[in-house]
Amino acid sequence: MTTVKLADPLYLDALGPRGAYRTRVPTSVTDVTGTEVARLSLVPPLFVTRAMAALRQAGPIPAADLDGLLAAAADAFASGTIGGLGVREYEQLVSRTSGTPLSVVHAATDGTARFVRQARSSAWRGRPVGAAGGLRDSAIREGHAVWVRQGDVFAVNASGNHPGVHRLWLEALALGYRVAVRPSRREPFTPYRLVGALRQAGVRDDQLVLLPTDHRTADTVVRDADRALVYGGDDVVAKYANDPGVLSQGPGRSKILITADTDWRDHLDTIVASVADEGGTACVNATAVLLEGDPAPLAEAIAARLSALPSLPPQDERAVLPVCARERAHALSAYLGTVAAGTRAWLGGDGIADDLGDGSAVLRPAVHQTDSADAVQLRSELPFPCVWVAPWSRSDGIAPLRDTLVLSALTCDGELLDALLSEPTIANLYIGDQPTYWMAPGVPHDSYLSDFLMRSKAVFDAR
Amino acid sequence: MLHESLTIVDAGPFDRVDPDEFVRAAMQWHFDPATGSRYWLDRAERLDFDPRHDVKGVADLVLFPDLADELRGVRVADLIPRGYGSGARLLNVFDSGGTTGAPKRVIQLDDWMGHSTEQVNRRLRAHGLPDGGLWLTVAPTGPHLVGDVLQRAAAGLGSVGLSVDMDPRWVRKLVAAGRADDVDAYTDHLVDQCRRILLSQDIGVIAATTPLLERFAREDGLVEMINGSAKAIIWGGTHMDPDTRELLSTEVFPDVPVIGMYGNTLMLTALMERVGLTASEPCVFDPVSPYVFLSVVDPGTGERVEVGERGQVVVSHVSKSMLIPNNMERDTALRVRPDEGHVGDAVADVAPVPTVKGETVIEGVY
Repeated sequence: MTTVKLADPLYLDALGPRGAYRTRVPTSVTDVTGTEVARLSLVPPLFVTRAMAALRQAGPIPAADLDGLLAAAADAFASGTIGGLGVREYEQLVSRTSGTPLSVVHAATDGTARFVRQARSSAWRGRPVGAAGGLRDSAIREGHAVWVRQGDVFAVNASGNHPGVHRLWLEALALGYRVAVRPSRREPFTPYRLVGALRQAGVRDDQLVLLPTDHRTADTVVRDADRALVYGGDDVVAKYANDPGVLSQGPGRSKILITADTDWRDHLDTIVASVADEGGTACVNATAVLLEGDPAPLAEAIAARLSALPSLPPQDERAVLPVCARERAHALSAYLGTVAAGTRAWLGGDGIADDLGDGSAVLRPAVHQTDSADAVQLRSELPFPCVWVAPWSRSDGIAPLRDTLVLSALTCDGELLDALLSEPTIANLYIGDQPTYWMAPGVPHDSYLSDFLMRSKAVFDAR
Repeated sequence: MLHESLTIVDAGPFDRVDPDEFVRAAMQWHFDPATGSRYWLDRAERLDFDPRHDVKGVADLVLFPDLADELRGVRVADLIPRGYGSGARLLNVFDSGGTTGAPKRVIQLDDWMGHSTEQVNRRLRAHGLPDGGLWLTVAPTGPHLVGDVLQRAAAGLGSVGLSVDMDPRWVRKLVAAGRADDVDAYTDHLVDQCRRILLSQDIGVIAATTPLLERFAREDGLVEMINGSAKAIIWGGTHMDPDTRELLSTEVFPDVPVIGMYGNTLMLTALMERVGLTASEPCVFDPVSPYVFLSVVDPGTGERVEVGERGQVVVSHVSKSMLIPNNMERDTALRVRPDEGHVGDAVADVAPVPTVKGETVIEGVY
């Protein structure tokens, strides 16, 4: 029950509707070695309900200022000093706490700035062609409909696996929602910086808040919002399955399919990148590769590539693999061993935790081959480069490809592509040599977010 | 000697008896075959020390093991000290919350109720609570001590409490089952009852649990009304973190004193917040010599932590009516020096014992 005392700790305050708020006893944020790097103020439920009420009272950001404001926020995020941190210090902290390789964090900074800059235009891509933007939009006379929000307050219960998870909620802000962000306790730095950047650019304190909370109080954030975006595992997806106000972002179970008309050797770079780029920690990293043909040579080739990746601390510029606390790494390694029973290990069969000797361990890649396309392992998504390589045949059909966030299809078969496009549980379909992790502003991630946030209201103006 | 002891164990909370002397007298009382309860006389045979000889004062109470678990099964009649004879006036049998299995049972005799109410009321008066007027008490009643303490406190100040009943065990079951919607519905049900009382009566004092006060805070109309007419708010029955306490005192109810109450069934009374603290200072609860002794210990070693450090709360209740030594509560607190005239520790910023979770794997990248 003792806490490490830092001479000059970095405080991450809650960013409430009346400014920064520091709790009596902020909680420690530690890096992957267990060293305290910051103190985070976890607010109690009472603070949450008052903040959410304040958001409800505040109006939307005026549409007229929006693009300029977002551009200024993007610049501040990418290169400004926010909360006393320059961008390089920020990236170091994200890397050290989340264990994400520094190069991945660095690239994500620019990527996120791009999403910020284009948040308004991205959000508006989802508007139905028949719906006008507002009462003063002349299109109303044609479509007799206006695109309107389904509520006022949006909440996101974010994760800390990749800084990129904070790109989506920007669209809610751009659509006029007031937004509450509940950061990951492991990596609160990205949302703190993003909220700080948007506030510097002119978003009012009562329009956008950062509410760090413990696990239990996070429910209050979600329940007090009109619409909420929640990241988590299958347990979280199940918890909110019947709540139409909550959009869950669960395991992505992204996949690659290669049919016999395509030689995988021509696409090995893309396949390996889909598994391991971004540290292999994103929901858009490939969890399974299905091959029409013998999967053994492909599994062997992927394993050969991935085995060459170095084990380094995350803040090393050459690092490419994720790192976490040693205990967690060994727990993940043991879990993988259990899950992988009955498969053929090409890499990582002896465990994937590689101790760095400082309390942390690298999560090394794992490549396993399964007997069939319907092996249960194909649903096992783990937070490091971990891929299941399976045989696939026409008789297996679409079933093994269901429940997929991104499917990259390496095939020339037009009928198969039509079937994949029609399958409702495949969220995104990339055709040809395109890595699963590709994302861009304005391209739906799991449908347009506005499908969840907006509706079209009939308006007839007979004046 | 016997006569003197009997006089001392009858002492009231403001008779200024020496706590060590009181504890010695209580040992004579509880372990003398003529006066002790059947439970303690039987139990004494299996102790590896002689309480009448070896317990020379408050500090020696640590000789007792934590026997609170045995209160889950003891017959009520076996808890009443024989020394009361046929004149024992048993007012209530209370249950502990039952968070950890079957509830523990304690008895409330008339003499103890008098001492308990007297000390609660003296501290409430020191907080400036008025005599007369109406209270609204939203607390568990029936088998639970806290509702009774509040009703008697109100009565002791010449008031009466309009009460709203609640069933904390049912709420805990709902929480454990993840039925958040049902918890909300139950809370709304309580608030509906409170609202009717608050809007139709002149309520001077509101006594409620933390979640209820948080729920009141969501309704501007209720907040305005409470700020306009209430003279005091007493919170208790559950924990309140220091940030919530400060927000309630300074932002939600800035016009009403917000007073903490800490107690549990096995303490057999309630401790009121020390008078004169600001909302930004830790919320201190002093013990009640010579009956309730607190110590704040390291749960691993059992040793007292340093003043200002956090540890687990150990409570001993010593009265003529009951002896419940060394009960390890499921609370942690900062150790604070007690107010003048009280021995042992005072506690501040009481919080639940943290639950430690092992490293488990949930699939997915989040």
